[in-house]
Amino acid sequence: MRAPAAALVAAAALLAVVFVARADPVRGERVFQRCFACHSVVSGEATLPGPTLRAVLGRRAGTLPGFRFSPAMIEAGVRGLVWTRTTLDAYLADPQAYLPGTEMGMPPLTEGDDRRDVIDYLERAGR
Amino acid sequence: MRRVVHAFAVALLVFPALAHAEVRIQTYELPRGGGHPHDVAVGADGIVWYTAQRDGKLGRLDPASGKVDLVPLGRGAAPHGVVIGPDGAPWVTEGGTNAIVRVDPQTREVKSWPLPDGRGYVNLNTLTFDRRGRIWFTGQNGIYGRLDPKTGEMRVWDAPRGRGPYGIATTPEGAVYYASLAGSHIARVDLDTGAATVVDPPTKGQGARRVWSDSKGRIWVSEWNSGNVSRYDPKTNDWKTWKLPGDTPRAYAVYVDDQDMVWLSEWSANAMVRFDPRSETFATFPSDRRGANVRQILGRPGEVWAPESGADRLVVYRTK
Repeated sequence: MRAPAAALVAAAALLAVVFVARADPVRGERVFQRCFACHSVVSGEATLPGPTLRAVLGRRAGTLPGFRFSPAMIEAGVRGLVWTRTTLDAYLADPQAYLPGTEMGMPPLTEGDDRRDVIDYLERAGR
Repeated sequence: MRRVVHAFAVALLVFPALAHAEVRIQTYELPRGGGHPHDVAVGADGIVWYTAQRDGKLGRLDPASGKVDLVPLGRGAAPHGVVIGPDGAPWVTEGGTNAIVRVDPQTREVKSWPLPDGRGYVNLNTLTFDRRGRIWFTGQNGIYGRLDPKTGEMRVWDAPRGRGPYGIATTPEGAVYYASLAGSHIARVDLDTGAATVVDPPTKGQGARRVWSDSKGRIWVSEWNSGNVSRYDPKTNDWKTWKLPGDTPRAYAVYVDDQDMVWLSEWSANAMVRFDPRSETFATFPSDRRGANVRQILGRPGEVWAPESGADRLVVYRTK
């Protein structure tokens, strides 16, 4: 049993290394240009058409104080939607399908790598 | 599929004003794979083109038959704006691939003019033709630009206050104005030098989203944050502002029809709103679909077209 367990640990470590190696902060910032017109990750920049995405991970949907969200987004938050890597990935893959009635006009971010990198970027920007 | 809504009955139930009586509303359901219409344009021939942004296609509706054809714009496409050029063809701000695109109305050939390599992704928004046959366009990430389709020459300028350039329109005299949503201003573009001169509306932080001109060259502005519609007269430099009906209105799109009536989409009430500048009164036309989310309006004499992006359909308000 010890050998398979060690192999599993090694595989997990390898996967982690591969993931970290593939994460590309420059690319994530470049993908964020698709969000840039409406969103910011800069502290204090809160007058854009979309809510700030600074520290968005862990935030319940539709609850950022001072921002006027769509009824659909508010209802999603009431139902328990919290922005995590998983939920953000699903939302960005097809915003209208994931959350019908969302006012966000961004078209689907179809490439998984793009979503991963931009979520990495948001995660780092929220620290 | 085509469906006629009897606007007269609906309007009288909700709003007793007879102003609604002369407007007939007709809706056109869009096919799967060609829905979520963002912008719309109708040509002199009555054919309607719309951007199916989510699906990367340009749609063509024949209102007489209700038939919809879809033109794929290529891998990564996510078209935002569409206008009909002087050549009768639909021209598109292709936000997905960072290019201006023409679709031949007969052959459906797609021709693309990409933005210069060094510009990066600009989030192309809307376009308009000037009287010299050149295209002016906006990019929400903070640019505006010009394309001469005859020569292929493209110029791109940084917007005076950074990100925000959104709707753009040409007046009957040929002047070009754009609105900056994030920048909360409008700007007039010098057609020779390309320089943009900022004009600030009276309401601070109003969120000017789109602009349109009336027959006298006055600029009408839909204000997203304030819920106002405002009018700028370039001849006198005067502004006038009106609040849309409701407690917390949000004016997204604006269009001035051939009778100088001002049409707006108002998202809080999920409605189209028509403003009569002579009587300074509003008439409201609520959508019968939740979250219709009309992001742009355009028309031709007797027709005002509104793409309901959240309801996957096109709606026409017939005024003649």
